Amino acid sequence: MSLYILEGLKPWVIQRVSAVYIALFLFYSLYCGMNVEIVSYTHWRGWLFHPFNSIAFGIFVVAVLFHAWIGMRDVILDYVHDIMLRLFFLALVMGVLVGSGLWVIRILLFSMVE
Amino acid sequence: MGGSAFKDKRPVYLNLFKIRLPVAAVVSLAHRLSGILMFLAMPFIVYLLDLSVQSSAGFEQAMTLLQHPLLLAVQILLVWALAHHLFSGIRFLLIDADLGVDRQAANYSAWLVIALSVLTTVIVSLGLLL
Repeated sequence: MSLYILEGLKPWVIQRVSAVYIALFLFYSLYCGMNVEIVSYTHWRGWLFHPFNSIAFGIFVVAVLFHAWIGMRDVILDYVHDIMLRLFFLALVMGVLVGSGLWVIRILLFSMVE
Repeated sequence: MGGSAFKDKRPVYLNLFKIRLPVAAVVSLAHRLSGILMFLAMPFIVYLLDLSVQSSAGFEQAMTLLQHPLLLAVQILLVWALAHHLFSGIRFLLIDADLGVDRQAANYSAWLVIALSVLTTVIVSLGLLL
């Protein structure tokens, strides 16, 4: 017996689409970072809370959460065969991802106003 | 999972010194390992993000934290993880697109991924340490 989570959502496609977006966002951030001499608090906030960057970053976080879930799920399904241990690790991963995601939403919503 | 239906009586040969992984397998394994490492680091990275945008003092605190020797080592490890995951990910996407599938090209690109990720790690590490 095994657990097929996200089976209907074509995880293979999600993994690759999210990978491309993550890579593009990383190259964009790297490009932005290379044009700055010294990163200051004001610069950093100004960059992150710029409307375009906030939205791009928000999508990046969603992409990373999906990407990490599918990746960790695959690793767990490959190496953990005991059904209870499998459930335990899947729940643990889901907990970490949902927790991190909610935390980022909180940062983006409530830290925007100083 | 076979379970009790399969009573396997074949001899198990598991001499780790006699098993040589092809370089493509090493890259694939390292792709998984680097992904797991970044997953484990995720909550801490979100914590640093929170700290860095809270206040000017929080930003400085985050910057000081990142200077800690132990965290410098962790950063170097994560730079390798990100670089390897990114380069090998691009390699997998190209192979998905039918590019570089034959053995020679796949071997060459696997070595290229290893070289590029090590090179990136060295360059970024020098930037972090100097």
